[in-house]
Amino acid sequence: MKIGVYFCKCGTNVADKIDPEKVQKKALDFPGVAYCKTSEYLCSEEGKTFLVKDLLDEKPDRVVIAACSPRDYEKTFRECLSSAAINPYLMQMVNVREQVAWVTQDPAEAAKKATAHIRGAVARVGHQAPLEGRELDINPDVLVVGGGPAGLKAALAVARSGRKAVLVEKLPVLGGMPVLFEDLFPNLECAPCMLEPVLAEILQEKQVEILTLSEVQEVVGYCGNFQVKIRQSPRYVDTLKCIGCGECINPCPQSTANKLNFGLNESKAISFVLTGGLPNIPAIDFGACQRSQAEDCQLCKAACPVDGAIVFDDQEKTLERSVGAIILAVGSSLYDCTNFPALAYGKIPNVYNSLEFERLLSATGPTGGKLVGRDGKPPERVAIVHCVGSLDSKHQAYCSGVCCQYAFKFNQLVKRKLPEARVTHLHRELVTPGKEEFALFERATANSNATFIRYQDLADIEVVGKDGSSEVQYKEASGESGKIHADMVVLCPAVVPSKTAKALAVLCEVPQDKFGFLEELHGRADTAQSKIKGIYLAGGCQGPKDIQASMNQGMAAAGHVLSQLPAGKKLQIDPVVASVNEEVCSGCRVCGSVCPYKAIGFDAEREVSIVNSVLCHGCGTCVAACPSGALDGYHFTREQILAELEEVLQ
Amino acid sequence: MTRTDEGKQREGFEPKIVGFLCNWCSYAGADKAGLSQTPYPPNVRVIKVMCSGRVDPQFVLQAYKKGVDGVLILARHFGDCHYKEGNFRATQRHRMLLRLLKQQGIEAERCRFDYVSAGEGEKFVQVITEMTDTIKRLGPLRRKSLSPIDRKGAHHGY
Repeated sequence: MKIGVYFCKCGTNVADKIDPEKVQKKALDFPGVAYCKTSEYLCSEEGKTFLVKDLLDEKPDRVVIAACSPRDYEKTFRECLSSAAINPYLMQMVNVREQVAWVTQDPAEAAKKATAHIRGAVARVGHQAPLEGRELDINPDVLVVGGGPAGLKAALAVARSGRKAVLVEKLPVLGGMPVLFEDLFPNLECAPCMLEPVLAEILQEKQVEILTLSEVQEVVGYCGNFQVKIRQSPRYVDTLKCIGCGECINPCPQSTANKLNFGLNESKAISFVLTGGLPNIPAIDFGACQRSQAEDCQLCKAACPVDGAIVFDDQEKTLERSVGAIILAVGSSLYDCTNFPALAYGKIPNVYNSLEFERLLSATGPTGGKLVGRDGKPPERVAIVHCVGSLDSKHQAYCSGVCCQYAFKFNQLVKRKLPEARVTHLHRELVTPGKEEFALFERATANSNATFIRYQDLADIEVVGKDGSSEVQYKEASGESGKIHADMVVLCPAVVPSKTAKALAVLCEVPQDKFGFLEELHGRADTAQSKIKGIYLAGGCQGPKDIQASMNQGMAAAGHVLSQLPAGKKLQIDPVVASVNEEVCSGCRVCGSVCPYKAIGFDAEREVSIVNSVLCHGCGTCVAACPSGALDGYHFTREQILAELEEVLQ
Repeated sequence: MTRTDEGKQREGFEPKIVGFLCNWCSYAGADKAGLSQTPYPPNVRVIKVMCSGRVDPQFVLQAYKKGVDGVLILARHFGDCHYKEGNFRATQRHRMLLRLLKQQGIEAERCRFDYVSAGEGEKFVQVITEMTDTIKRLGPLRRKSLSPIDRKGAHHGY
């Protein structure tokens, strides 16, 4: 085997500390080394031209380059090898600049250390094998799960780039949680004015296939090529034929609790679900429809001016779609307030959670925007309890980030609707970061009808029924106890992962963090990517978020898809991955259990583990775990590492 | 005479240490130390692996067999691993190694696991310096019969 060694002096950077001639002489003694040449600056244009020409002339079997950190120029030198028709993985770099010349005082010691590392690299490179990356076709279509702010922005961005997005939404209407809001923090902007242009655009966008009343049922495949099964529940209204006139609704003889108003009022069995909800097409809640009791009621159909728009025999469908990437944007939920019996949620009628209160403030809500309790009377005092489950090690240890902000919004909206009403904030911490958000705090504290009570432990707060209304008993952080009469109590629960997100995590094999949110690839650098290649995250399912952050993350996720999986290009598969020697594999599956990327499957018939090279990130954790030595990691094989180890110590 | 006294007497003893560094964090931390041109003892020979999770306990045992006086395994801080949980596996294996080394009469200080992230050039210098001092104090490793290893064959590392 002919091994060629190149030593880069990096001007004086290396040569001042390590005598190139000394190293050259030593290197020529190492087994297999045919020549050792020096260069002033191997990474310069001149240096690279020399390297390529010399490689073409010398035709070495293996190459060792002693220069700077491989983190700087390994890619460059690999390209030089490719230009000289040598497989780039037949080269090993030695970091004689950052890790020797720059950090060793004594030149003799520096030369000794550099020589030892070159010896190790020479031994290692002999065991290196040519590796080829693979290319895979990419399906350009993208599945977006969740039609809230994050999902809408993601689907629109994908569609605007000319690619197809399949948008799956569980509810009959799009928009996610903000469709429940009338005003938005921080500036009490009109929520529909923010949302409707986005919805209008997506409804017109031919590249987006909108599937409402739908849920993902099965996901198979991997980055670039997923097959997805989607279950679509019947709407009983043809979305293409319906013109959205609403003539069908009034004649309907049946009513049922309005789910999007949390049962605070009723809607007809056929309804728009949410006034002003888009797409503007009613749906029949079959469980409430008279036809579910085997009665042949046809009143809605008779009122409908369009032939065939109402479809009584609509069926549940299973749709199959092939996509190259998946963006999960299914949002979050509120922590269940019944976990705090002392707060009497679900027991005392005028204790609401924040989403229910949003509906009471909304013109499309159960009271038409009149702020009244279940007894129909406007409240004289509203008590808002912050941190219901947040910042609480017994419940959710984190700050949910949005609650103080909407609580201050509530403060302003109560003042607007009922100028005489008093507002009491019972809070632990107050958190309103951001260039606009801090004004919320200023406006809330400027409200002369508002009082702030700081408590230390939520367990010190109790809501009790009194004279048909309620009383909040509390202990302040200072230790002082008190009580206030409140005809309305609003709880601000922790933002928690939704059941849908948890179910999707299992379906897509996406890891969840310790709180149950879908776990990002990197907490700061890559929050819009999941740990699984080809699956991206956006919005509340990744962690508590406001609308602004959700929309941004939706765009970020779409950006990842468009840049990582560009249509028409092939997916490059890095060859530095793990592989299984099936002859040796005993099928114990230890490797699969330690793989952080679910990249190792199991062939039950042959009882061997199989590495999916598309999903593998090449960390080698499975290789070190394999008890029978059946796994090895390309470019970091047992042989290569041991050869380097033994020789570097000579 | 204790080992420590023995070590003190070995004036001029230069220990051989091998350091397994993960590519994304500790290796980058070592480069960071280089950029700041802070000198540190030249005793550590660095072997780069993609992740500390790749460090097979057999590599460590083989290093002792081949003449090192100390082994360093450096990884990214907990929860920050580029490969999610590779460093967690590495800590598990390190704990196992310490039990194994005890049986072989090798002091726990000769096998150090520590965290060095990409930005922690100073920490890298500190760890290398401390380790070199520690091994100088302990003196050369007195090798007993360490189990042999076959480069290609089966072994028993979890």
